[in-house]
Amino acid sequence: MKELSLNILDIAQNSIRARATNVDIILKEDAETLTITVSDNGCGMKADFLKRVTDPFSTTRTTRKVGLGLPFFKMEAEMTGGSLDITSKSEEEHEDHGTVVTARFFKNHIDYIPLGNIIDTVCTLIHGAEEVDFLFLHEYGERSVMLSTREMREMLGDEVPLSSPEVLAWAREYLTEGYAELYR
Amino acid sequence: MTVRQLSESLALEVLSLPEPEREVCGAYAGDLLSWVMGRANADNVWVTVMTNANTVAVATLTDVSMVIVTDGSEMPPETLALAKEKGVNLARTKASSYEICVRLGGLLS
Repeated sequence: MKELSLNILDIAQNSIRARATNVDIILKEDAETLTITVSDNGCGMKADFLKRVTDPFSTTRTTRKVGLGLPFFKMEAEMTGGSLDITSKSEEEHEDHGTVVTARFFKNHIDYIPLGNIIDTVCTLIHGAEEVDFLFLHEYGERSVMLSTREMREMLGDEVPLSSPEVLAWAREYLTEGYAELYR
Repeated sequence: MTVRQLSESLALEVLSLPEPEREVCGAYAGDLLSWVMGRANADNVWVTVMTNANTVAVATLTDVSMVIVTDGSEMPPETLALAKEKGVNLARTKASSYEICVRLGGLLS
């Protein structure tokens, strides 16, 4: 993919398909590295499936025989000298089930793919999954940008849905200002 | 033109040719796999320098007639084994993607 933010969108959509109610998207960045962690409390995966999940010919979909979201994400991390790890606890075997995907990138490598429009990704997720709580946090050195849909819901009450145009416009504005400050 | 005829015309190093009589229709060149996935058409020849397992997956998904790996890009044994297992036609050349595309333009027009 041309932007890492599209990979993040793809991985978070896996979480939604896994019936997660909480999805945390954490980016930790410094001058040399970017670490992206997507963790959820979805149904998780058993050990045998987990082993195959970065194999491009393995998928949970039935419409085609290859699923490429995680294999591409892993390849993109490894192309920069980084790595990708997945840990998962299945709901059949664990009370505290869910999946954690962590990808590490070396930003100064020539094959590093830029993060791209992460604000679009976050807004798309908020808009598309009303019943899921997202925590988005991007740390860059000492500074950070944070958006929690749980906090937004507490402020808005039950009347206003998060997917309403006004709320999304506010979230976009808030993140845009946050990023202006983050990379100042 | 079949992939076998094309391989001979371009003097390619054939690595896996489970479907030698498959007809070629057009070509696509690209190395960004997700991009190729959405743009290469069935029966195209796909010209690329990428040689990991995902390359075979994209070839399967797009149903290209053949993958031509250019610039003598190193072929991991596991990728080659996967291409054979999945029935993907795969060949290699020392020529660049540009050079191969120029010659494809003459052969396929």
